[in-house]
Amino acid sequence: MQRLTRWIAAHPLTCMAVVLLLSLLAFVTVYDLHDGRLRLKIDPTIERLLPEKGDDRAVFDRARETFGDSDAVLVAVALDEVFTPDGIARIDELTRRFGELPGVRQASSLANVPNPLADGDMLEISTFGAQARENPERVKDFPAQIAANPIYRDALVSKDGHTVAFSISLGELSEEDFRKQDYTGKIRALAVEVGGSDQVWITGGPVIKAATVDALLDTLAFTLPAVLGLIVIMLLLVSRSVYGMLAGAATVLISLLWTMAAAVLLDIPINLVTAIVPPLLLTLGLSYAVHMQADYYAVRESSPEARVQHVLSKVGPGLFLSGATTVAGFLALMPQALPAIQQFAGLSALGVTFGMLLTLIFLPSALRLQRQNTVRRPLGERFFLVQARRLAVFDLRWRNWIIGIALLTVPIDLYFASRIHVGTEYIKSFHEDAEARRDFEHINQAFNGASIVSILIETHVNDALTDPELIGQVESLQHWLRRQPEVGSVVSYVDHLKLINQSLNEGDPAYYAVPRDAAAVKQLLVFGGSAEIKRAIDSRFRSALLTVRINVDSSAQIQDLIQRVEERLGELKPPLNASLTGSPVLATRAVNAITSGQISSLALASFAIWVMLSFMFTSPRAALLAMLPNLLPVLLYFGILGITGISLNPTTSMIASIVLGIAVDDTIHFLARFNADARAKGNETAAVKSALASILRPVTFTVLSLCIGFLVFTGSELKNQVQFGVLASFTLFVAWFADILLTPALGSKLRIVTLWDLLRLDLGQSPQHTIPLLSGLSLRQARVFALMSKMEKLHEGGQLIRQGDLSRDIYVVVDGTLEAWIDRGGERKTLATLGRGAVIGEAGYFGQRRTASVDAVTPARVLRFDSQDLERLRLRYPRIAAIIFRNLNRVQAERIARTTAMLQ
Amino acid sequence: MIRMLAGIILAAAPLLAAAQGAPATVSAAKPLVDCMRANIPSSVQVKEVELISRDRTGGERQLRGRLYATNDKDRVKAMLKIGSPPDLAGAAYLMKEGSKSDEIYVYVPALNKVRRVTGGNMDGPLWGTDLSYNDLKQVQNAFYDPNAKLEGKAVLDGTPVQILQFAPQADQASRYTSIRAWVEPKSCMALKAEFYEGQQVVRKRFSGKAADLKQSGPHWYLADMVVADLKEGTQTRIKVTGVAADKTLADRLFNPATFYVGN
Repeated sequence: MQRLTRWIAAHPLTCMAVVLLLSLLAFVTVYDLHDGRLRLKIDPTIERLLPEKGDDRAVFDRARETFGDSDAVLVAVALDEVFTPDGIARIDELTRRFGELPGVRQASSLANVPNPLADGDMLEISTFGAQARENPERVKDFPAQIAANPIYRDALVSKDGHTVAFSISLGELSEEDFRKQDYTGKIRALAVEVGGSDQVWITGGPVIKAATVDALLDTLAFTLPAVLGLIVIMLLLVSRSVYGMLAGAATVLISLLWTMAAAVLLDIPINLVTAIVPPLLLTLGLSYAVHMQADYYAVRESSPEARVQHVLSKVGPGLFLSGATTVAGFLALMPQALPAIQQFAGLSALGVTFGMLLTLIFLPSALRLQRQNTVRRPLGERFFLVQARRLAVFDLRWRNWIIGIALLTVPIDLYFASRIHVGTEYIKSFHEDAEARRDFEHINQAFNGASIVSILIETHVNDALTDPELIGQVESLQHWLRRQPEVGSVVSYVDHLKLINQSLNEGDPAYYAVPRDAAAVKQLLVFGGSAEIKRAIDSRFRSALLTVRINVDSSAQIQDLIQRVEERLGELKPPLNASLTGSPVLATRAVNAITSGQISSLALASFAIWVMLSFMFTSPRAALLAMLPNLLPVLLYFGILGITGISLNPTTSMIASIVLGIAVDDTIHFLARFNADARAKGNETAAVKSALASILRPVTFTVLSLCIGFLVFTGSELKNQVQFGVLASFTLFVAWFADILLTPALGSKLRIVTLWDLLRLDLGQSPQHTIPLLSGLSLRQARVFALMSKMEKLHEGGQLIRQGDLSRDIYVVVDGTLEAWIDRGGERKTLATLGRGAVIGEAGYFGQRRTASVDAVTPARVLRFDSQDLERLRLRYPRIAAIIFRNLNRVQAERIARTTAMLQ
Repeated sequence: MIRMLAGIILAAAPLLAAAQGAPATVSAAKPLVDCMRANIPSSVQVKEVELISRDRTGGERQLRGRLYATNDKDRVKAMLKIGSPPDLAGAAYLMKEGSKSDEIYVYVPALNKVRRVTGGNMDGPLWGTDLSYNDLKQVQNAFYDPNAKLEGKAVLDGTPVQILQFAPQADQASRYTSIRAWVEPKSCMALKAEFYEGQQVVRKRFSGKAADLKQSGPHWYLADMVVADLKEGTQTRIKVTGVAADKTLADRLFNPATFYVGN
C-alpha cells in the first residue's frame, strides 16, 4: 500500500495521463462523434419502472393485448348547456376532433355512443349525437335515458349535468411521444377551441405519467447546475485556490463521465430512478474532494511529492473505507425486485467507486502539479481546533450521559417507527396547485373515480363466458364490487348483454337480464355487439375484462381494496380464473415490494459495513460499537417518519440505506484516526482528543456539502423528491451530531489498544527483531504469539521467580531492569542483570526447578507465557511454535555456553 | 349486424352498388371507373362465404353462410343466412337499399324475433369483424366520386395496376379523409384499397391477390380478401368458396316475415 502511495506521489503526470486517456474513451463511449449525439439512453417512461416479469405483469400484458390499453385519457369539459341540440353538436364535434388526433385509437363521449331505443319491432341504435341531429326534440329525454343505462350512468356526464366526460384511447403512441408532443396541451387546446369552455380538466394514466416525467426532468435540470455551483463554492472555500477548485471539479465531473460511460456499456438508461444518480454522485464526489483538499492544503511537508504521499497515507485508508461503505449501502438495494432500483444501485455503486479512486489518484496528482508548496492555513482551522478541544472535554466528561441518552432514544424511536404507514399517494406527490393534481381531483370528484383498474377473467375454454351460470358468478362479483366504497363504477360484458337483450325485446325493462341459454347469449353478443363490447369480452368468449373505476389514489387504500378483491376473486368457481390488474395495481404492488425490501436492504447494508469495520479495527466488537452512532440516526429517521406521518414509500425507503452508507464515512474518519492515535499513543482518551481535533473541520465541511447537496432536491415540483432532500439532509446532520458527540464518547470506552500495540510502542515497530524469543518470525507471526501472552507489572524490588520453585512460565522483559541471583549459604550472588527483550525462565518450562531467583531492580513490565499458551500455540500454529521452540533452544544453548564460560 | 351483409356483398361482388348509376362526370379516371361499374353483375348471385375474424391475440372466429343478392330496379337486396357454427345457425340479415335510407333487418333465432334496425354507428364493427357499414358504403360510393383521380400506374406484387384516389362524399359522414384503390385493369377489380384517416394515416386496408381473381360468367370477383384494421391490430378474411350466378330467386327470400319460417 505504501509502495502504491509512493508511486502515485512520484508519477503525477502518468496518473493524470492514464485518467485523461480513460476519460477520452469514456467520452467517446457516451458521445457518438460520428452522429453528433449522446449514446446514453434516456428512457423517462414510468412503465419501465414496473416489474418486467412475474405473474402480475403477465396478467397486465395479457389484458392489454386482448382488450387494448385501459389507460385512457379522461377529459372533462364544463359546458353552459349539455342537453341541448347545440350542446350535443358541440360535444360531437369535439369527440370527432379528439379522434382525429394522430395516435388516438378512439375517442368516445355522450355524442358518439349508441343510445338503443326500441319501438315495437323497430330498434334504433343510432348515437345520441345522431338522434339529436335527426330530431332535436329527443335531446330532452337524454338525461333519463343515460340514468337508466348502467354503462353510461355517471360516466358520460357529471351528476350536476354540467360537465361532460370524454374518453380518449391511445393507439401506438408511446408514453414518451405523448409527453414530448404535449398531447395534454393539444387536448386542452382543442377542448377550449371547440368546446368553447375554459373549464377543462384532463387526467388518466398517460397524463399523470407525462406530468411526473416533466416534473422529474425539470428537477434534474435544476439540481445538476445547482450542485455544480455548490461544488465550485465549496471547493473554493476549502482550497482558496482557483486551481484547487478546478482540480476538484474536474475530479467530480470525470467520475460522472465514467459513470455515464458505464451506463452506456451496461445498457442502463437514464430513467426516472437513475436520473437521481448524477446529482447524487456529484454531491458524494464533492464530499470526497473536500475531504482530500482540506487535508492536502493543511499538510506541512518539504515538497509537493512528500505532501501527496503524506496526505494519501493519512486520508487514503479512511477515504477508501468510506467509499466501500457507501458502495455497500447502494449495493444493499440490489435485492430489490424492481429493475430500476437495481440499476440505480449498480450505477451509484460504480459511480462512488470511480469517485473514490479518482479522488485518491487523479486529484492528488493534479494538486501536485500545482508545484507551489505553499501551506494555506485551512479555513476555520483555529475555530475548529478550539471547538474540538472543548467538544473532547465535554464528550469525555459526559460520556456516560451521552451514551445513556443515545440509548434512551432507541425505544422512543422504535415506538414512533411502529406508527409508520407504508405506501405512497401518487397524485398527491404533486403540489396542490399543480395542474395534474387539480384536474385529477376534480374529475375524481365529479365522476366518482378517475383511476381505472381491471379484473381479467379467463376460462381458457371457448364460449365458456356465454354459460348463464358462469355469467351469474360474474354478475354477482359486479354487485359485490359496486358495494365497495372505493369503487365508483363497474362495467362488464354482462351489462352490454343485458342491454342488448332489453333492446331486442321492445325495450321492456323485464328483459334487462341474462338470457337463460348459452346459444341465446352468444347470438346476442355476436349479432348485437357494438365496438365497445370488444373492450369487455374477447371474440372467442373465453376471457372478459371488468372495468372498475376507483375513487382512491393512495397505495395504502388501493392495497386495502386489492386484498378484499383478491379474497372475493378466490371465491369464483372453475373454470373462472380472475385477476385484478391495471397500472394502479402494478404500481401499488411495486411500492409494497420496495418498502418490504427495506428491512432486508438495511440489514444487508449494516452487515456489510460491520464486516468492513471489523477488518479495519481487527475487532468485531469495536466494529459493532462503531455502527451504533450510525444506526441511531437511521432509527431516529424512522421515528421522524412515524411522528410526521410521512409514509415509507419507494423514495423514503431508499434514504436509510443510502444515508447509512454515507454517514458511516464520518465515523470511519474519526475511528481511523482514533485507532491510529490510540495505538500510537497507547491511550484511548488521548486519542479521542487528537482524533476529534483532526477530523472535526473536514467532517463538518463534508457534511455541510452533502446536506446542501441533498437540499437542492427541495427545488423539485414533486413532494417525494422534496421529502428525499429534506430527510436525507436531516438524517446526515443527525449522523454528524452523533459522530461528534456519541462516537468520541464510545471511543473513550473502547479498548482497542492491544498488547501488540503496546509492544510495538515499547519495543519498536518490529519487536521480532529485538526480542530473541521472537527471532525469525514475521511481523504477523510475532503478533499472533504476542497476543497469546499476558502483560505483568512489577514494582521495584518485586520478585518474579523464586529459586527452587516448580513453575513452567517463561517471561520476556518489556521494560525496566531485573536481576537474576542465587542464594549461596545465605549470600545473594547476582548472576545477571536483565533488560528489555531478555528471556527469563525457559529452564522451568522444560521441567526444571527454578535455578535462580529474579527480582525487579526498577519498576518493570514483562510478558508471561505459560506452558498452556505454548501448547495451544503448538496445536494451532505449529510453524510459529517450531520457531519459538528453536529460539528457546537457542536461548538455552547460549545460557549454557555463558555458564560454562563463567565456570571456566 | 345487417351492415355486415353489405360487407359480404362487397367481398363477393365489390362494385354491386354501382348498379345505381354514376353521376355524369368527366375525369381522367372515368374510363377505369366505368369499367369497374361494368363489372357489377346484372343478375342475382348466390355465394358461399366464409368470414374468419382474427383478434389481436390471434384468436379466430369463423362464420359460414350463404349470401343471396339481387338487383331489383337499381336497388340492391341482399340476405345472408348463417349456416355455422351451429349455435348461430339460422341467424339472418337482410338489407334493402332504399332511395332515402337502407332498410336493415336482423333475425335472432334464440329470441325468434325479427327486428328492423335503424340508425346505428356507421363506423362500428360488424359482428365483431373489421368491417363497418360505412367502410363498405365508402367503397361503394367512392366509385361514384365524380372527382376520382387517376394517380398513375404501378406494379402491385408483380401485377400491373392503376391507382385511383377517391374522396368520400360530404353527406356520407365518413371518418375517412380519402381512399386509394389499386385496380387491376384487365378485370377492373381493386386488389387493394386503403382508407385514410386524419392526416393521411391508413386506418384500414383491404387486400387480395391477383391469383384469387375469379370469373363467374362475364363478371369478376375476388375469392379471397383480407380487411385489416391497422389501429386495432385485427383482421377479417373473407373467402368466397362458391358462386352461382344468374339464379332465379324467390322474392320471399327478401321478405323479413319469412325469417320465422323454418325456425
